[in-house]
Amino acid sequence: MSENKSLLGSGWGRVLHNKRYIVWFYVLNVFLGLFGTAAFVNQARPILEHSLQSERLLHGFSLGVLIEMFSRPEFGPTIASRAPAMFLALLFLVATALFLPGIFQGYASTYRLPREDFFRACGRNLWRFIRLMIVAGIVMGVIAGILFGVQVALVKKAEESTNELLSVYVELASLTVIFLVMTVLRIWFDLAEVDIVLSDQRAVRKSIGASLRHTFRSLGHLLAAYVVATLVAAIVLLAGLWSWMKLVAPENVVGAFFVGQVTLLLLLIPRFWQRGVAVSYWKETMMIPGVAVRPLESRPVTMAEVSDGAPVFPAPPEPTPGS
Amino acid sequence: MLIRWKLVIFIAVLALGVTASRNRETSAAASPQATPTVAKPPALAKTAKDAAPAGISIPETTLAINSDKPMSQRVVHYEIDAKYDAGKHTIDATEVLSYHNLTGQALDHFPFHLYQNAFQPKSTWVREAKIEGSRDTAYEKWEEKQYGSEEIKRIEVVGLGDLTAQLQYIAPDDGNKDDKTVVDLHLIKPIAPGAYVQFKIAFQTKFPETQARSGWKRDFVLGGQWFPKVGVWWNGAWNCHQYHATTEFFADFGVYDVKLTLPRNEIVGASGVLVEAKNNPDNTQTVTYHGDDIHDFAWTASPRYKVRESQYQAQMGPIQLRFLMQPAHWSQAERHEKITRETLDRFEKWYGPYPYKTLTVVDPEPDSAAGGMEYPTFITADTDWFMPEGVHLPELVVEHEFGHQYWYGMVATNEFEDAWMDEGINSYTEVKVLDSILGKNTSILNIAGITLGEREAQRLSYLSAADLDPIAQKAYGYYSFRSYGGVTYGKTASVLLTLEDIIGEDAMARAMHTYFMKYRFTHPTREDFLKTIEEVSGKDLRWYFDQAVYGSQVMDYEVLDINSFPVNWYEEKKDKKAAKKAAEGDTVYQSYVSVHRKGDFVMPVEVEIKFDNGETVREHWDAKNRWTRFSYQKKAKVVSAELDPDHTVQIDRNNFNNSYIVEPKKKPVHKVANFWLFLTQCLCQALGWWAV
Repeated sequence: MSENKSLLGSGWGRVLHNKRYIVWFYVLNVFLGLFGTAAFVNQARPILEHSLQSERLLHGFSLGVLIEMFSRPEFGPTIASRAPAMFLALLFLVATALFLPGIFQGYASTYRLPREDFFRACGRNLWRFIRLMIVAGIVMGVIAGILFGVQVALVKKAEESTNELLSVYVELASLTVIFLVMTVLRIWFDLAEVDIVLSDQRAVRKSIGASLRHTFRSLGHLLAAYVVATLVAAIVLLAGLWSWMKLVAPENVVGAFFVGQVTLLLLLIPRFWQRGVAVSYWKETMMIPGVAVRPLESRPVTMAEVSDGAPVFPAPPEPTPGS
Repeated sequence: MLIRWKLVIFIAVLALGVTASRNRETSAAASPQATPTVAKPPALAKTAKDAAPAGISIPETTLAINSDKPMSQRVVHYEIDAKYDAGKHTIDATEVLSYHNLTGQALDHFPFHLYQNAFQPKSTWVREAKIEGSRDTAYEKWEEKQYGSEEIKRIEVVGLGDLTAQLQYIAPDDGNKDDKTVVDLHLIKPIAPGAYVQFKIAFQTKFPETQARSGWKRDFVLGGQWFPKVGVWWNGAWNCHQYHATTEFFADFGVYDVKLTLPRNEIVGASGVLVEAKNNPDNTQTVTYHGDDIHDFAWTASPRYKVRESQYQAQMGPIQLRFLMQPAHWSQAERHEKITRETLDRFEKWYGPYPYKTLTVVDPEPDSAAGGMEYPTFITADTDWFMPEGVHLPELVVEHEFGHQYWYGMVATNEFEDAWMDEGINSYTEVKVLDSILGKNTSILNIAGITLGEREAQRLSYLSAADLDPIAQKAYGYYSFRSYGGVTYGKTASVLLTLEDIIGEDAMARAMHTYFMKYRFTHPTREDFLKTIEEVSGKDLRWYFDQAVYGSQVMDYEVLDINSFPVNWYEEKKDKKAAKKAAEGDTVYQSYVSVHRKGDFVMPVEVEIKFDNGETVREHWDAKNRWTRFSYQKKAKVVSAELDPDHTVQIDRNNFNNSYIVEPKKKPVHKVANFWLFLTQCLCQALGWWAV
């Protein structure tokens, strides 16, 4: 437990010392989100702006009005507003992959990482991260596919039971297992990412191998730390939604925007916390110490004596001709 | 099963807290093995005055109704002795059907419905369901053990002998020779007008895995449309349609005496009143039910029902309410009872008395697709293990199915030919009742500030298939299942709600009451209903019915444009004083408001024009021309115009263009955009969380 605390605490310390990364990512998140929303606004504006019907969306949230808006031919296909949102979400993913090495470097540093070092780390590890992401995507995709397949089969079997709640319990239990397994995979690849950056490891496979060994070696501690951070994220999200519903008046658009954005900003923190935990673990456990150098034996220093104007160091011998 | 949705609901329920059981003074939670209250056995059947010489008659019993005399013209008497094999899901039964020929002419043949034969691969029902869609099985994965069937093993007509050989399958609607849902029996000797005839039938029914809300699922069974049922002589001919994917039923009123033998551990519910329950030595039980003035008989059995019983004091006498709940839904039993009582209260006050002594509400097996069905004095509800208070699905279904006790059960319209007269009229009364109980804009959903009202839902359902079909047509004539649903339920409800705007809400309420009282226990036609509304309102409404009921015209009105400019605009251009005058509000403006009828549905409508000095003007537009322009000269500019300002017209296809505000309001756009932004950012973060 104390090890967990120290991991979580140490990871949290790294997050606190590098708050600017969260702010950058939040700004990026908002920026891409606004772009992703532009198409939706363009579709909704001609229908809502000049109609009294839209008042029903303002002074409450009428699902009927919203459904009618989406079904209007002039709104166009919903894919037109969904596609940019999806695309920009992917862009956020790419940006995360691009800047993550710099963040790891910053987390590992005991000083404020200069900007050039940050971007140097990003550039140096980009191709390595792409390779790692491909491997992680395949591994996580295959395992998730298998797990969800098993889950569907189990739930289907449970649904044959005359106990209606059995399938619900099976579903919840299996989803919990899937969440834990996927979290373990995330730990594995987070450690690999950290190892690639901080060891300057070109051979991605070596980092993957080392991280896998360490993931299982310290599974309990790492998993507990990651789960705690996830629970914090869940609490933040629920608290944010609750505040939005209970504290913000339906027509208070600015208030809703503020609460929503604060929630989203806070939601970024737990994932960065997890990364801080990964860096702390790497530094404490995975870092290969440098080659031990035996200290030089100290010898007494003989001070040259200066006397009678004699040179301290003898003059170099004169070159002899022909030699 | 959508687990994410369920999780959201689960979280919401944790927040809301579990509802404590209340108001149980009149309720009793019985153990699963408890037997329902047994009514006294019926007195010896009084025979009809014009009893047949052979002693065949239709009983005039009143055991199952709160009336001392029959309420319907009883045409049939079914006496069924059935044994249910829970392992094979089959019924082996004998049926004695006494029929009173009140057609005024000799009958030489009798068609019978064999509904369960619809659940065969080559049946019309399945063929239509494959093309048009249905709410049931994905037929590609359908296996033989899931099929249903119904076979008459032997049929004897008293006095005429065994006529099994005379049976002939017919397909009066589509000629499908593989469809066996209607069988015709030709009699050697016609039955004279006024005479009685008695059929003695031995049949076997195999229930399908639930189809059309009848059949089995796990150890649950719902026995609906399970016995050979004679057609209806209607409008001078036999009316006995094949069973279609979108049709329901049509039958004559009468008396039902049904004896069911089934495993002893089953808890049973059925139409009518329970008159006898006894255990047999072979670990079975036999329950006997009696129904008066009903036109169908359904039953259900499951070893796991939990039973809640209570009494409701109705206008004509007490009603025994019985709720058969799934164990996982037991905490919702009170909710079911509450909405049943409130619905009963509204129906009795607004439309007329409920005369039956019982009402059984069945919460069917989960995933059985047997929820949301109506039979006389017997309905199925629909809920899930977790149902937040703000999601009114159980209330919606119970109210709707109870409504069918009036619009189908008592006002027994032809569901094959005029589905709108039961589903549509019922959807209209559903809006009225649920509005009154749960609120106009919150009767379906009222959770976390998100709301949805029943009248909106009906309108949206209509919009999904607005121009495909007229209301008045055979239920199997619709383009698709979606069109059938959208028009039969949604359009009819919207059309009747709009009618309130034309004749007034009070007149409409009186018309509905009159219609019920006049046509209960009969088979009214569409014109009976429409003429009743005209008579009560004292208005000629043909122009409306021709478009809304018989036609497929679509209404779409819009405010085309608004213009306001100074009358002396030419002076203002060169004169600074005039500009100042304008700023002081002394300028006279010429304003125009143009409204446009985009669709082909013509109906007079109100237009409300608002000016920037707070003044409001109401105009009446007959909408005969495609457009019209209203003009004004005032010391004010027009700020907005709105068609149908009272929002009483439910059939307009687009509510957004019914109004126009000159100065755009950005707040609503920003509000929905903020939701979209939040979702987009969440999506970004979720991807960032797991993928890298």
